Amino acid sequence: MPVRFLRNASELADVSWETPLPVQVANAKPVPADTLLIATTTVDTTANRDLLGSTATELPTLDGCMQYRKLVWFYFRAGADATNYRVLARATDQNGAPLGAGWQVLLEDALPGGANSWGRIEIPSASDGYYDQYRIEVRRTAGDSNYSLTSKIVGVR
Amino acid sequence: MTPKVCLVMRSFNPFNRAWTQILRNLGIDYTLCVTTGGTTSANIQTPQGVFSPSSPDLRGYFRQFDAVILCDNGGDLSATSFINYSVFWMSWNAPEDPAFLFFNPHFSTAITDSAYDSNFPSDFPIVRPSPSDIAGTLYAADGGSASAFDPLTQASLRARGMCILFLAENIRAHVQTICNAHSNIPYYWKLDTAKHSTLASTPYTHRVARNGRAGEVLAVPAPPISSEDTETYPADCVVAYRYRNIFWLPHAMARTQRSVNIWDAEISAFVFWLLYGLQMAGVRPRYKLPVQIETDHPLEAISSTPPFNLSFQQQLELIRAQFDYMRDFARRKGTAIINGVRVGGRHRTTSTSFHWNLMYSTGVPAEARAVAQQANQLLIAGHREGTLPCGVHDHTAGNFQGGYWLGDVRANFRRHSGMRYGAPNNVPIDRGRCCVAPHVLPAGVAGADAQTVQVGDTEMVEWDHTMSGTGDTFDLPLGNIHAARMIIESEIEEMLALGFPDGYCAGHKYTNTAANASGGECYWQALKEFGFRGVRSASACNDPHRTKRVVANRLWYGFHLITEASFDLATGTAYAWGLYHPNAPSGGDAVRRRMLDHGNDISRNWTTQPVAAWRAYRRVLCQGISDWLSITAVVLGALYIHPINAAMIISLSDPLARFNGWSKQNVIGEPHYCHSVELLENMDAVVRLLPEYLYWGTITDVMDHRERVMG
Repeated sequence: MPVRFLRNASELADVSWETPLPVQVANAKPVPADTLLIATTTVDTTANRDLLGSTATELPTLDGCMQYRKLVWFYFRAGADATNYRVLARATDQNGAPLGAGWQVLLEDALPGGANSWGRIEIPSASDGYYDQYRIEVRRTAGDSNYSLTSKIVGVR
Repeated sequence: MTPKVCLVMRSFNPFNRAWTQILRNLGIDYTLCVTTGGTTSANIQTPQGVFSPSSPDLRGYFRQFDAVILCDNGGDLSATSFINYSVFWMSWNAPEDPAFLFFNPHFSTAITDSAYDSNFPSDFPIVRPSPSDIAGTLYAADGGSASAFDPLTQASLRARGMCILFLAENIRAHVQTICNAHSNIPYYWKLDTAKHSTLASTPYTHRVARNGRAGEVLAVPAPPISSEDTETYPADCVVAYRYRNIFWLPHAMARTQRSVNIWDAEISAFVFWLLYGLQMAGVRPRYKLPVQIETDHPLEAISSTPPFNLSFQQQLELIRAQFDYMRDFARRKGTAIINGVRVGGRHRTTSTSFHWNLMYSTGVPAEARAVAQQANQLLIAGHREGTLPCGVHDHTAGNFQGGYWLGDVRANFRRHSGMRYGAPNNVPIDRGRCCVAPHVLPAGVAGADAQTVQVGDTEMVEWDHTMSGTGDTFDLPLGNIHAARMIIESEIEEMLALGFPDGYCAGHKYTNTAANASGGECYWQALKEFGFRGVRSASACNDPHRTKRVVANRLWYGFHLITEASFDLATGTAYAWGLYHPNAPSGGDAVRRRMLDHGNDISRNWTTQPVAAWRAYRRVLCQGISDWLSITAVVLGALYIHPINAAMIISLSDPLARFNGWSKQNVIGEPHYCHSVELLENMDAVVRLLPEYLYWGTITDVMDHRERVMG
């Protein structure tokens, strides 16, 4: 005998994956963080290449981030060749359009770590973010070996 | 019973995340185990401990799973180890043992591991490949030419093609198939017929042994259907085999560090074999995956089409025939083929390639307009019955470049008449003064014309708007919700004028945006207000303005932004010149577009060897099915085609005929090929092969499923 419940006042439904038993959630806590991006980037000497591979300099890597106090960028780099990264950010207006052209540079530095190493970078490094859009670029600055950089970015409220 | 599989890999570094993304979408639980190496002495690191690969403990651990999957593969037969540890599992054949899925397994004679050789089952019926005797141990596949790059790691380009015959099901299907690769050449396996004969007559009991025998040939290269097609394989050539509970299957997944960016991913070209292997192993997924396809510009024609020189009427007759076929196909299969009607012709362009103008412009011959109107009626009928749902698709909102919000201002935007935002109504076309936090807005600041506007979870008060006036033409600032509302209402007004009851694919409440440009939040909000549940969208969603990206999980306040993938035959030109054409422009035929001319084995032989056309046909179809299956299974997205792009190469006298090489030619004497028929028929073969995993569904099913598994 299947378990059934009254759905839509007049319809009897069997409990299943598609029609789970309705429950009232008590003491639920909001999830404080969201995964915003997981991407593998080939790091080469191309200027202005972002984590999604785009070199269109006005194109954000992440959009709609105003709710996040901070982003945490985890990465695993397969290569050791010297690499610079740049974190750019900007706010948008009520239409979602950037307040102006270009970006505010939040971070610009050498990407820490060697071959097959892990890294973690907080964005911004101090204070809070709440920017609407971020653009994160990586560029190999020395050596001759392109490599894979796998990133995960978490937005923290 | 919860479906559960175990994935065994050597390292997370070259681990393709599409493995797990597909399993998640299917609702199959999985456990990841990492080996400590590739030899027979490597240990298997499981969540319940580290086990020797030959140990009873590992065998007992594996018995909780429906299937164990070997993830590692390589393209070098001379390697001495790769998955040597798995040789012990080939003898774990009791009914309690799981099915083992070996995809593109490395079992060549170059393996120097003595424990491998001594434990390799003596009755295994597939000849072990020898790198020093490839011709004697393998069959070169797909013409035998080498790919320019590793064929195992290709995505939406450079497919290797074959039509495969699945023996028990008696179904032929084009699926990319590489059993083993060496020096970038794909190979199929050679069967030891004596050993197979013994196995095939040996009773064997296991849930996956559907014929109750120890050995079963599952799939072979399909024999040709035309005497032109001289690419044949010997009777002992196999591509898939079941040895007891061990499935010896072709390549399923590139061994690369390829991630799935939430809901965007590169094409995984060999997904079919993973789905097939799982089904054969008896892994019952919680969810089947809906298969569906879309078209952009169902009604379109081009004024000048050399070298075909088809008239408007001829092009439109070919279009009409295709949609008549697609309507019937959708009826039979229970799918709904979404169509993005290229609106804008009623108010904003006189181009005779647009839907409205093909029906009403005197620039189009009367007899062609009549055919266009017949095709339009066919679409309306399909829309109303649910087989060909149509939605707005506007290339005129942003200066003819694409879809929504493609610049700051659309010069000389011409709107519709009537309704809420049409002429002569004087309505806002840009935000005026605005307060995005009404709770801190002092009393008396906002004017009498103040109105509240909601975008997402932001509520704002606006006043002193820029207004349209009473005219119908003005420069329209594009980046605001008032413009979005006006544009979308104008598009729907045109759909209604065309005879459609709505502009959002009826109950699906969806459309495919022009150029996959869905704009941004203002457009998503406006679309929601007009009743849309989702749209197809690129990640960079207002290209070429390039100031916006879709939200990370492609779900904005319940509004779906569906991942896109196109499979037109040509790019950079309005129409394809053929599967291949010696004089086609760059990207102007499918072989050039998809880089399918391996070792020039199509272009070199096109005019001298009829088999070259069949080779092109196989590779194009294999690439198309790869792309379609990947977009279906990995990102739960939408594949689409432009029917006009492949229309010129269709036979005028027999437009729906299946491909038949040089025996069925088009107007310029090249092989006829009908893209929509071939894609749908071939995918139908795949769906019939995989009834546990795929079904013909709709975009509503896709959006429902995304909500089910995106959490």
